[in-house]
Amino acid sequence: MAATAKGAPARGARLSLRPRKTRAANLAFYIVRRILWMIPVVLFVISITFVLMHLAPGSPWDRTGGRPLSKAVIDDLNVKYGLDKPLWNQFLLYVWNVAHFDFGLSYQYQNQTAAHVLLESWPATLTIGALAFVLIVPLGVALGVIAALRQNSVIDYIAVGFSTFGASVPNFVIGILLIIVFSVEAYHLTGGSLFLPTGGFAVDEHLILPVITLSVLPVAYIARMARSSTLDVLRQDYVRTAWAKGLRERLVVLRHIVKNSLIPVVSTLGSIFALMVTGSVIVETVFAIPGIGRSFVVAVSSRDYPMILATTILFSVVIAVANLIIDLLYTVIDPRVRLG
Amino acid sequence: MAAAVTDRVQEIDWENPEQVGLWKDAWQRFRRNPIAVLGLALVAVIVLAAIGARVVFAFHLPILRDYLQQDPANADLGLFSPGHILGSDELGRDILSRMLYGAGISLTIGVLTQCIYLVIGAAVGLTAGYCGGRLDNLLMRFVDVWYAFPDLLFLLVVVSVFGASLFTIFVAIGMIYWVDLARLIRGQVLSIKEKEYVEGARAAGSSPLKIILRHLAPNALGPVIVAVTFGIPRAIFLEATLSFLGAGIVPPTPSWGVMIQQGYESIFSHPMEVTLPAVSIAITMLSFTFIGDGLRDSLDPRMRR
Amino acid sequence: MDGTRGTLKSLPITAVLSITALLAAACGSTNTSSNGGMAPNAQQILRTNSATEPNSFDPGQMTYDYENLIGRNVFETLLKPKPDLTDVEGAAASSYDVSSDGLTYTFHLRPNARWSDGQPLRAQDFLYGYQRLLDPSLAAGYVDPFFDTTIAGGANYGNIDPKNTAAVQSFIQGLGLSAPDDHTFVIKLAQPAGYFKWVAALSAGAPIRKDLVGSRYTSWASNPAGIVSNGMFKISEEVPKDHVTLVPNPYYWGPKPHIQKWNDYFIADANQAFSKYQTGELDALQVPLGTQDAVNADPKLKSQQHRYLSLGIFYLTPNLQVSPFNNVHVREAIAHAIDRDTLVNSVAKGQYVARQTYIPQGMIGYTPSLGSAQNYDPAKGKAALQASGLPTSAYDKIKLLTRATSTNQLINQYLLNQINLNLGVHWTLDVVDSKTVTDRIRKGNFQIYGPDGWGADYPDEQDFFDVYTTGACHGLNWGCPNNKTYDDIVGKGDAALKQSDRQRYYDQAAKMMEDQYWVAFLYNRYDVTLVKPYVQGITSTAIDESNYLPGDFNTNSIYIATH
Repeated sequence: MAATAKGAPARGARLSLRPRKTRAANLAFYIVRRILWMIPVVLFVISITFVLMHLAPGSPWDRTGGRPLSKAVIDDLNVKYGLDKPLWNQFLLYVWNVAHFDFGLSYQYQNQTAAHVLLESWPATLTIGALAFVLIVPLGVALGVIAALRQNSVIDYIAVGFSTFGASVPNFVIGILLIIVFSVEAYHLTGGSLFLPTGGFAVDEHLILPVITLSVLPVAYIARMARSSTLDVLRQDYVRTAWAKGLRERLVVLRHIVKNSLIPVVSTLGSIFALMVTGSVIVETVFAIPGIGRSFVVAVSSRDYPMILATTILFSVVIAVANLIIDLLYTVIDPRVRLG
Repeated sequence: MAAAVTDRVQEIDWENPEQVGLWKDAWQRFRRNPIAVLGLALVAVIVLAAIGARVVFAFHLPILRDYLQQDPANADLGLFSPGHILGSDELGRDILSRMLYGAGISLTIGVLTQCIYLVIGAAVGLTAGYCGGRLDNLLMRFVDVWYAFPDLLFLLVVVSVFGASLFTIFVAIGMIYWVDLARLIRGQVLSIKEKEYVEGARAAGSSPLKIILRHLAPNALGPVIVAVTFGIPRAIFLEATLSFLGAGIVPPTPSWGVMIQQGYESIFSHPMEVTLPAVSIAITMLSFTFIGDGLRDSLDPRMRR
Repeated sequence: MDGTRGTLKSLPITAVLSITALLAAACGSTNTSSNGGMAPNAQQILRTNSATEPNSFDPGQMTYDYENLIGRNVFETLLKPKPDLTDVEGAAASSYDVSSDGLTYTFHLRPNARWSDGQPLRAQDFLYGYQRLLDPSLAAGYVDPFFDTTIAGGANYGNIDPKNTAAVQSFIQGLGLSAPDDHTFVIKLAQPAGYFKWVAALSAGAPIRKDLVGSRYTSWASNPAGIVSNGMFKISEEVPKDHVTLVPNPYYWGPKPHIQKWNDYFIADANQAFSKYQTGELDALQVPLGTQDAVNADPKLKSQQHRYLSLGIFYLTPNLQVSPFNNVHVREAIAHAIDRDTLVNSVAKGQYVARQTYIPQGMIGYTPSLGSAQNYDPAKGKAALQASGLPTSAYDKIKLLTRATSTNQLINQYLLNQINLNLGVHWTLDVVDSKTVTDRIRKGNFQIYGPDGWGADYPDEQDFFDVYTTGACHGLNWGCPNNKTYDDIVGKGDAALKQSDRQRYYDQAAKMMEDQYWVAFLYNRYDVTLVKPYVQGITSTAIDESNYLPGDFNTNSIYIATH
């Protein structure tokens, strides 16, 4: 009974009796396999993106406004950037370069490499993403667990209400409404604005609105998940018994509850992460933040192929790495899970 | 001996699996959930309003102003203005009419994307689960890889390639999320495959495929319905996002996303023009989510008495 | 004014200021209300927003208006436009001579002109700048005014293979450019061109220091804060995606700017920029259409709002190579179908002005009387359709190709509605993303396209009329009238040296465009800009980038008043 109260069932005990060398070797093998697996994924992503982009009519030199370029200049530009070569040639060349971490020159920002542009945009996206991520896990889990512990009370309804709302309302709607309230209306009332969206990047109170907007959806998802998994845990007999026994027992079992509710939450962190990556595209557009998401939207409309490809690859790799880390984390948290 | 077994086997009603009372029971539980009922009611109102509006527009009935009719001299009227109960936009078009028309577009996209999503997801999931082995492996790997592709990015690129017609958008949206359904159905098929009655049916000479399909329906239908119900607001959201980013439905067709994008430009001058469609999208998505939650709770076998 | 001889002096600042007063009457756009005199140097900081970061700080590779804003203040070319745009005046060159046959331009550079690192400005710097600009391997965006029927030897630019170094070198050496001594720069033209003085004023024709370029032929300006320049400002820092800062060039020969620090920001989101103007973080800002009502509703903002002329014209372009737009009556019908006044007053909220002629107000050649042919008259429009003799099916279901930009959305929808309503047809909008649109109009894959237009590169009629020559079909114009008579007339106008002769030819060309309804003229845009009242001394010309900074051609007169 005591062993199960600690949450480690028999099977877990058996795993820990395995010789450590084999376990470490397993782990290493697993990591290597996963990393190797990223290569075909990246290749697939590149191929699809490459094909799609070149299917799109309009070359990078077609001006969207302002003075059109003369044909002579366009021909020369195509030569300069290697666009006069046949497509398959360009594709192979591109893959070869990527293998050497060369993502080519951006077409929009002449003479800057795509990698360089990404590096410049990276801090903004990373800061907001990291802030949001650090916020959402404790907030979401706390919200879900508390709601489950106080099921059917006012707190539960509020929490469920908030998380349903957050999961349903589009993030750009939230962003726009926040802007209206804190900038537009505040301007009418006071002549100034509160929490202006940031222009030019700095870590200051201007980040509050974008971080909130980015966090709402993931917090909602996590809260819902934490709540239902906590409810499941609470249903178990030993937990009910311990809970009934009184405050001291409750504290002991609370740790167990939280830990067990975390497990399914961690398993979805991968898709939460992917959600935030795409969410950043919208948040950056609404709040005009010079990050990677926004530069991607601009790159697509400008047919800046190197930027588009580089950003897509970056996103895919980041998501794949995040998934790997989360899977590893998952095995640490839940010893019942086997790698593979 | 064999004949007797066969007779015995044939007596058992394979056609009608056990959970006959599932739907009735689910409906009872659903009805008792006030939030779910609220969601259902809201959706019903929206659907009726959208259909009604289309009828009015089609027959040019004088109940609503034409959603395309411009009147620049009376542009940007506020709420409760004479002749325009929700005001008018920058070209003097009636906002109420545009909102109702947009409701139709959102709903259409929401529902039609699910059809694509169902077809592809079911096909892949069924094939993977039923065939198993190498094909299953390959398909699941493909699913994993497809998952790695960031969805909004894929959408943006596809729409810029193929143009932003209604058709392209819902094919593109449907093509992204079928992976969830495929996994779901595959899981169901796999678990059914191992059940005794399939073995029994095979022994009796029935095609296991037919049995699987028969048993798949009630088992999987619940989760599939829930998935589809949650898929509708997700599709609506994606269309609105695309239009907001300028890559979606093209004007003058007034989808809610287009209205938000247009209204966003004059957010300082006339905030209501962006607020109204934004709130409408929120309410629609919320309602479907309420329904989805309610359905999931009521179809959940663990919670049955 | 004659263009055969241009002896120009540098104007002292008092003359500049009196021209400002003259312009105040002419254009009605100067700031005259403020508290007091000039603020101390520490407060002479100007903050503008050009919304987009320049793709390049290399003047040879700059093409967009937001790049030229920086380019013309950081680099100085041979000549620059006079504030009233009637002629050019000396900039880096104190004077220039034109040979009697109009083929040789000799520029006399100022002996006291220096680079921002103190080195003297020499003719060889201009030679290198021009040679590099005309190098096909550079693929400079703004090079065509320099080789297209102008500089001798340049006509072959499009045929040189940029990868063939030998061919490139021989092409460059064969151009009509030379620097006989340190202060004389000579350009030989292939044929007489009365407008060439304006080409010499374009910021693409900036001098470049060969010793500083070295091996970084295309990328020497990739670190903008370090570049050496010869204009009245130099770049002191550039924060990517944020702003660029200009400070006065201590070695500039001319009147030093009062502004000690000029921060140009790249805030792309119009609403965000508007917020920053209100909180006092920006000194000048374009008023986007969506914000116009908010500005009009606020008395303080309304008083800070100015409308500046800009040299451009917007129109609908039918494709004259396809039916039904090869029929002049159908084209005429479109011109009569659009209520321009409602468009500019209600839809564009006064940011536009209705126009029915090609040459814009503010430069020589503006002739509004020519536009009476394109008036709003739905009855005439319908009658014109009848007169075309075509069956209804030929013009009933046309697709109007438009760009999917937010500025255009409302205008497009209005135009479509007008045409359908007033002509009784059933056209639809073909809204496509900008890149694809450019691709399609280049290939002639459209029926009618717009609104689009032409903005002046420089205030000379040649710049406008050359657009509709046959050679520019699918390049600069999309309708392709391909009319030999027109080509001849315009050619004569370009080559003539006396302004009065040129005007005669261009008037004929303008009349031809109007009579044949090659395009349906719509409107021109004002630059509607908010300017803080303490920004004074603006010398505004119609060719400024007034939507970013009014008076940016004469930035040295601007100062911050005490406030």
